[in-house]
Amino acid sequence: MKMLNRRSFLKGGLAGGAAIAAVGTSKQAGAAGQSFGGYPDSMGVLVDLTKCVGCRTCEAACNKEQGLESPDKPFDDLSVFEEKREGGLPRRTTEKAYTVVQKYEVEGREHPLFRKVQCNHCNEPACLTSCFVNAYKKTPEGAVMYDPTVCVGCRTCMIACPFYIPAYSYSSAINPVVKKCIMCYDTRLKFGRPPACVEACPQEVMTFGKRKDLLKLAHQRIGQNPEAYVDHVYGETEVGGTAWMYLSDVPFDKIGYDTHLGDQPIISYVKEFLAIVPMVLTIWPALFTGFYLLSNRKDALKNEDNKS
Amino acid sequence: MGGRKKTLVGMAALMLLTAPLVAQSWAGDGPGSVELGSLANHYSAVTFDHAMHTGVATSCAECHHHTTGASPTDPTCARCHEAGGKSRSVACRDCHSDKRFSAEDLAKIEETPKMYHKGKLGLKGAYHQKCLGCHTTMGGPTGCQDCHTRNDKGDAFFNSGKYAPAPTAKAGH
Amino acid sequence: MNSLKSQGFAPVVSDRKKDGSEWTVKEKIMLGLSPKEYMAVQLRNPFNWVLWAIYAIGLPILVGRFIFGLGWVTHSSYDYPWGLFLGWGLFVMVPLSASGFMMGTTVELFGRKDFKSIERLGLLNGLLGYLFAVVFLQVDLGQPWRLIYPMFVSLGPAAVLFLVAWHVATYLSCQVAELVPAFSEWMGFPKAKKFIKSIVLGLTIAGIILSTLHQGALGALFTYAPGKVHPLWFSSPFQWFHFFVSAVFAGLSMLIVVSTLTKWFMRWRCDENYLNNLSKLTLGLAKGASLALITYLVIKIIGIAHDNDWQYLATGWGGWFMFEMVVGVILPLIVFTMAVRNSNASLARFGAFLAVFGLALNRLNTALITFNWQLYQEIPHWREVVIVITVYATYIVVYRAVLARMPILYTWKETK
Ligand code: SF4
Ligand code: SF4
Repeated sequence: MKMLNRRSFLKGGLAGGAAIAAVGTSKQAGAAGQSFGGYPDSMGVLVDLTKCVGCRTCEAACNKEQGLESPDKPFDDLSVFEEKREGGLPRRTTEKAYTVVQKYEVEGREHPLFRKVQCNHCNEPACLTSCFVNAYKKTPEGAVMYDPTVCVGCRTCMIACPFYIPAYSYSSAINPVVKKCIMCYDTRLKFGRPPACVEACPQEVMTFGKRKDLLKLAHQRIGQNPEAYVDHVYGETEVGGTAWMYLSDVPFDKIGYDTHLGDQPIISYVKEFLAIVPMVLTIWPALFTGFYLLSNRKDALKNEDNKS
Repeated sequence: MGGRKKTLVGMAALMLLTAPLVAQSWAGDGPGSVELGSLANHYSAVTFDHAMHTGVATSCAECHHHTTGASPTDPTCARCHEAGGKSRSVACRDCHSDKRFSAEDLAKIEETPKMYHKGKLGLKGAYHQKCLGCHTTMGGPTGCQDCHTRNDKGDAFFNSGKYAPAPTAKAGH
Repeated sequence: MNSLKSQGFAPVVSDRKKDGSEWTVKEKIMLGLSPKEYMAVQLRNPFNWVLWAIYAIGLPILVGRFIFGLGWVTHSSYDYPWGLFLGWGLFVMVPLSASGFMMGTTVELFGRKDFKSIERLGLLNGLLGYLFAVVFLQVDLGQPWRLIYPMFVSLGPAAVLFLVAWHVATYLSCQVAELVPAFSEWMGFPKAKKFIKSIVLGLTIAGIILSTLHQGALGALFTYAPGKVHPLWFSSPFQWFHFFVSAVFAGLSMLIVVSTLTKWFMRWRCDENYLNNLSKLTLGLAKGASLALITYLVIKIIGIAHDNDWQYLATGWGGWFMFEMVVGVILPLIVFTMAVRNSNASLARFGAFLAVFGLALNRLNTALITFNWQLYQEIPHWREVVIVITVYATYIVVYRAVLARMPILYTWKETK
């Protein structure tokens, strides 16, 4: 092959530049990985697990409010607590149920403990940061919303959610979408009203209010009744804090909570990679053009040697 | 479609739910029985046999905290209300809001930064925590329908009774 | 075809037939055979019977996937949102296709003109691998018709997958451009070839940048699930680097594997130049791959040391990890080194098969097998497996068709 002359080399460089410009948008990625910490006045829900009696009223309320498909079993059928999904795990949120109640028999506790599961509406949601079409939005009120009209269905959000919350309507061929709790944002939260489950619960297991007030309340409850609670508010710091927080009288790891999530939002684990993106984009072209010039200099020298 | 309509229905339901149909009949020191209707949307009202319960409880304070003038049984309450501190009203709904988490209630908490009982339960929560708490330890009835008769709307809400799903529906994967 | 050639059949190698008249495009597509001969050749090949069997079962199921939805072909797992389509089709296919940018770099940038005879195979391996990774992605996406949304409709630039999408798309066009010369020779469009030649350096550098980033990004995708992948397969600061470096040896090894297959099954299509150089180039590739392997081994160990994951080595998962490392990394490293030292190309070929296996195992381990290691293991639905086999068979069919026609394994003879 004929060696490239200077002019064609420059042209080549330009084409390379154009290709880089085309992907330059991803440079923003590095900047977008900043810590956020949540909206100061966002709302939240404090769930006092010690009060839940496992009546499943919240599940029924959610089903009606969100207009979900009718359930496989009536909402007053308590046999669902014995149902297991794969791996002997308790049932989880599905495309038909944005919230489910689980039952745990804990050794040394007189009665079973019930745990309500739904989206925790993280301050810095993993689902949101992992989505490549920006389908998720954290509203100032605290809800993590999902926009089904732009979702491509890659399901990275389901990979990313540390709480295994988002479900997917696999059964639909035409319009499968992610299904998850939206904290009743468009029907209630937006108007300052609590989510349907909170209002329906006969036991007032859930307290609705500003997240920062709920935190005070949670610690106050623990402080006033130290023997009734473990000294931890789950969700205060987990993965950067969540809008839904929990009080319990048994250690959280005994009732299915992941206590190894750490306090860093999930995006912080991705930052190391995002940080190298602009570096590669700027350093590589120079580096490899240098390699090219060097290797061709050798060629040129060799040619001269051969000539002489 | 139906979004607005749904909201309206929801609001109507809420209004029903939060308008406690409380009727009392008095006997002696307190009411003989109390109609509790805070869940009237899905259940018929509960007739609470107050007289019977006064016989079971060791002190009025067990349910009424400090409001009847008796010394509260809960040590946390006793820290401030040791002496009793009789209130103008002893009715549950006069302290426990039937509109818990409504915008007004949340605003009231917000506007009163020095308010101590910020986390005070709403009416429905107060009933159930008190009733069920005691029933569990004393062996009283604890099932929902042990106290409430569910109405047709309630059956629909719970997808139960004649609204129950066809048994063919197999549990999803 | 190999037997045809031994009977004296001469494949198309230039614009003109022996008698001096030009080949028509149709004739070129028929490999210079008459339609009757062509059909006979196709029918005689037992590999084609296997393909037909695969299609007979696989095509209806593939069509069913789009009619009845993903729920019909997968277990619809919420805990395992990614199955074999991405586990195999994206996470294994893409690193095995890294050969494209590496051959470009070797020949065009480092001026190793001696690799020229295998460069085009490297580029083609890259292009087709990426193309079919996109096909697999399209099978897996819930709404494949929205594929362009991340580009033009709703952008999520902070997401790693956003970068993957853009880079794979851009890189695909880069690779198409890099293969234009082969196509233009075959079709007889010399102008296109000239143009690409003038920008080849830019294309190559763009290729390196894009490849570094998206190969790494595929690893970084798992940093969104720090607790879900087993710690031995996960290290948030190193994940992208592990994926990138393993893609280097995987791409080179895959090229050895493919060239070996062409040598065995498509000998009729290879010219002297290609066949004569192949052993030497195989050893060259093996040398490159062994350098990447040793780097990979070291950074894997650093990753474990950095996260202090030693205690996991003594568990069952640790045994599985050791198996992957020994069979898929250390063994090929030793085999490659011995092969290079003894100039034994066959040994290098064996090493390459091992390294490709090791890479595939690593990606499947990360994406599927150790994913949710604290929950349970998911066994893919049989229809999912059938679809993967069907799409992969199509990849082979396309690959073979291009190799049989365009000047990849042979040099085009200019007649003008
Ligand atoms: S719990 Fe999961 S789905 Fe909900 S906001 Fe957090 S990451 Fe997203
Ligand atoms: S409605 Fe309240 S008490 Fe009943 S299951 Fe739900 S959270 Fe528990």
